[in-house]
Amino acid sequence: MPGSKLDLLQGTLDLMVLQTLESMGPQHGYGLARRIEQSSGDEVLLNQGTIYASLVRLQQRSWIAAEWGISETNRRAKYYSITRAGRKQLAEETLNWKRLAAVIGRVLAPATRGTK
Amino acid sequence: MTGPVREQWERTLGLVRGRRVDRDLEAELDAHIELAIEDNLRRGMSQEEAHRQAARQFGSRLSASEQAGDQRGFPALESFLKDLAYAVRGMRRNPGFTAVAVAMLALGIGINTTVFTVMNAILFRGFPLVERNDRILYLTTGSNCCVSWPDFRDWRSQAKSFEGMELVHGVTLTFTDENGFPERYDATEVTSGTFRLVGQTPILGRDFALADETPGARPVAILSYGLWERRFGKDPAVIGRTVRMNAAVTTVIGVMPQGFTFPQKQDLWVPLIPTPEVRKRENRATWFVFGRMAEGVTVESARAEMETIGRRLGEAYPLTNRGRNLIPHVLNFGEFFIGPNATLIYKAMWGAVGFVLLIACANLANLTLARAMGRSREISLRIALGAGRWRIVRQLLIESILLSGMGACLGWWLAKWGVRALAPNGSAISDATPGDWFANVLGYSMDYRVLAYFIAISIGTGLLFGLAPALRLSKLDFNSVLKDGGLGATGGKRGKRLSTVLVIGEMALAIVLLSGAGVMIHSFLNAYGGNLGFRPDNILTALINLPTARYPQVEAQTSFFDRLKTRLEAIPGVESVAIAKQVPGWDTALLPYELDGARSASVAGSAAEDDERHHPMLSALVIGPGYFHTLGASLLSGREFNDFDGALAVPAVIVNQRFADRHWPHQNPLGQRLRLFKDAAPEAWLTVVGVAPNIAQNDSARQERDLLVYLPYLQRPSGDMWVMARTRVPPGAIANSFRREVQALDPQLPVSLGPIPLTERAAPSYRYRGFTAALFLIFAAIALGLASVGLYAVVAHSVSRRTQEIGIRMAIGATARDIRRLVLSQGVFPVGIGLVVGLLASLAVNRVLKSGLIQVSPADPLTLGLASVTLILAAVVGCLIPANRATRVDPIVALRHD
Repeated sequence: MPGSKLDLLQGTLDLMVLQTLESMGPQHGYGLARRIEQSSGDEVLLNQGTIYASLVRLQQRSWIAAEWGISETNRRAKYYSITRAGRKQLAEETLNWKRLAAVIGRVLAPATRGTK
Repeated sequence: MTGPVREQWERTLGLVRGRRVDRDLEAELDAHIELAIEDNLRRGMSQEEAHRQAARQFGSRLSASEQAGDQRGFPALESFLKDLAYAVRGMRRNPGFTAVAVAMLALGIGINTTVFTVMNAILFRGFPLVERNDRILYLTTGSNCCVSWPDFRDWRSQAKSFEGMELVHGVTLTFTDENGFPERYDATEVTSGTFRLVGQTPILGRDFALADETPGARPVAILSYGLWERRFGKDPAVIGRTVRMNAAVTTVIGVMPQGFTFPQKQDLWVPLIPTPEVRKRENRATWFVFGRMAEGVTVESARAEMETIGRRLGEAYPLTNRGRNLIPHVLNFGEFFIGPNATLIYKAMWGAVGFVLLIACANLANLTLARAMGRSREISLRIALGAGRWRIVRQLLIESILLSGMGACLGWWLAKWGVRALAPNGSAISDATPGDWFANVLGYSMDYRVLAYFIAISIGTGLLFGLAPALRLSKLDFNSVLKDGGLGATGGKRGKRLSTVLVIGEMALAIVLLSGAGVMIHSFLNAYGGNLGFRPDNILTALINLPTARYPQVEAQTSFFDRLKTRLEAIPGVESVAIAKQVPGWDTALLPYELDGARSASVAGSAAEDDERHHPMLSALVIGPGYFHTLGASLLSGREFNDFDGALAVPAVIVNQRFADRHWPHQNPLGQRLRLFKDAAPEAWLTVVGVAPNIAQNDSARQERDLLVYLPYLQRPSGDMWVMARTRVPPGAIANSFRREVQALDPQLPVSLGPIPLTERAAPSYRYRGFTAALFLIFAAIALGLASVGLYAVVAHSVSRRTQEIGIRMAIGATARDIRRLVLSQGVFPVGIGLVVGLLASLAVNRVLKSGLIQVSPADPLTLGLASVTLILAAVVGCLIPANRATRVDPIVALRHD
């Protein structure tokens, strides 16, 4: 199936949300969803609605904070921002992720060579 | 607090906050859509396109809010709680069903837990306060006796399977403290390492040391907690105090912990002193050895090693081993104390109650199935509306586990009550004749093993009876159910097949239990109803042990019993008095013998009795004059012993009928001669002066009597005799006069045992056997009851479903008899198949019981026949009730029946 989305490792979406908030500052749900769609080339989000479970979870873990505010188009929307604990978590997770990616890369490399 | 821990806390809060947060989320989602639409419009889409794209990109609004909602609270818990509430509502709507189900489960779980508790105490736990009871083995030769001190020393030094081995010996001591008041106590002579081996130390004073068991050492004793409490009021100053035991001045050196008793119930322990008499290899008294298995050793390997050692010793000491089978028996706790069949009988009983529980499960499965089939419309609707099948299965399982949980609570209570009723007889569930002390020793508390078992069967039961109907229902073809407006045709048929199989299973289990109980009862009746050969009623009996210290001379002993007899016979209400070494029914000595003249010794005795010995064995009992008269037995020929069969007279013997028939079938036994062997040396020839009827001796439960001879007391005097008095009044009434006469002769002499009626002395073995049989019968009756209720339920259910059909049949002229036959025919099939399967199974199962049966074949046709008839009768009753109800169906009403 050409249109299939990447299977997300658990927590990956959370990591992306944290990273987006870190780099772009406070965002509302729609903004976050659009941003992740754009930066991942539409390959990550099944649909935009999926992001809300992640947002609730991150709030529960106190890694992001939420506040109702007014959008640039004068609409009431809930804005999310990363917290200090969130930044720490993001740093840790990014490191983990890079290590994991490196390991996976090393493991898969010979196999690719072998099948050639 | 951040991270996952915080998340759990927030989830918990979410459970409470609920609605308010939901509204917040809904508003946020609304905003999201609006923002998306605006964005799309900005990118130049049409109004309509913008809406469409926004909705598409967002995906399912419902699932988004559900996923986010699930993140708050615990979705699994919430849906479980919802299912639970639903199950409780369902149960309250159907109180009749609930009550029946809970009652059946309580019964099944209750008796299982009860039996397990008793079994646990006896098979798994053993003596309280003994470390790793399961690693302790008991070693004897012969039947629970006969180990000599040198045997023990050799065993201990040669056996590698044991960490340690000790020798013990039960004795009775007369204990006199400074107040001069004599009392008899049960004591155990032990080698000095005994307490260390079982892992206990005295709470006061010191343990036995090696020095205590050297000959000539200062006599010492360790008291049991009970004796210390009773006799010394828990006075710590008891250590070092001297008391007189059998006249020897003995120092108390220790007190054992409360509740500790080993290897039997005793009041005190003394060291076993290897006197020259004890050191003789041929002196094989009633000692036994126990040992703790070394690490990694199994009972089997220990047994194999001990047999090798026993054989080696037999070759090394042929003289003292002659005529004896001295291969060591290695037994575990249950085998030693409760008899070789202990494990078998307990496991059989466990199996029986397991069957009862299975039948209860099958019944409930059927009831649940019937009820669930009635709900198939509701369930189909739920499946059609998108409930997963797992969700349906889970719902039904929650219902059944809830039921089994309620049953379990009631069952636990029932089991507590059952254990109280059973525990005093707990050790009685055996075919051996355990000492009365045994019952008071074991702890029947419901420990962690019982709890684990209880929880396991409670949950297991719920799963077992819930799973079949649940899986069955989850496969419902909901389309056809909904279309037909009733049961799917296939669903109904398959459900019915399942319930028929369940009923067949119940019937089969019931017949296995019935026939098992039947052969046990038949065996009990054989033992109890057997001709005892004498009249056991109205005999008062007591054991007198004359202390050798004060009655050293044989003459003093015989004269004591002679005077006692005269005094007792003078009591009003006493008819006659006699003495004997043992009362009927109990064990006597086994001795090798040979007949005069024909070398019939080699032909005599069965192969088992003869095995490797040179001489066959007989049982011998020393009796005084008037023994048979007092027992109410009349000799078949010849005469009783009298006062003239003394040391100077011709050695005389009375043989029992079996002995006479075996050896002199065509001759007059009177005047024949035989002789016994003592330590392989022949004794003087004995002349037969009488033939007695077969009177139970040794195993009272066995129908086939031993070869038994009676020897005159005056030719084999002893200071330890049973005194028996035949009374004209109830024997208990003269017990006090009896005791007074003994005191009158010797104020310092306690009566060792009794006086008690002979029936009580002989009764335990019957009572125990009867008790076991009665328990099995109770279990079988419960099983039968449950099974016929099950059949009733199935037939009644099918009648209610066929009301319309029955109405039509009656409308077109079927008579009540036709209808009854129609309904009864429904029961014939499952009962018939169940009967056949059950009978076949019971042939296999009963074979397991074989070694516990007396003169009953495991496939006893009478028992199997009776069991079948009972089952059929119960089944007919179960079918007739709904059948009769069917005949009263009003056709008009029935035709309107939906």
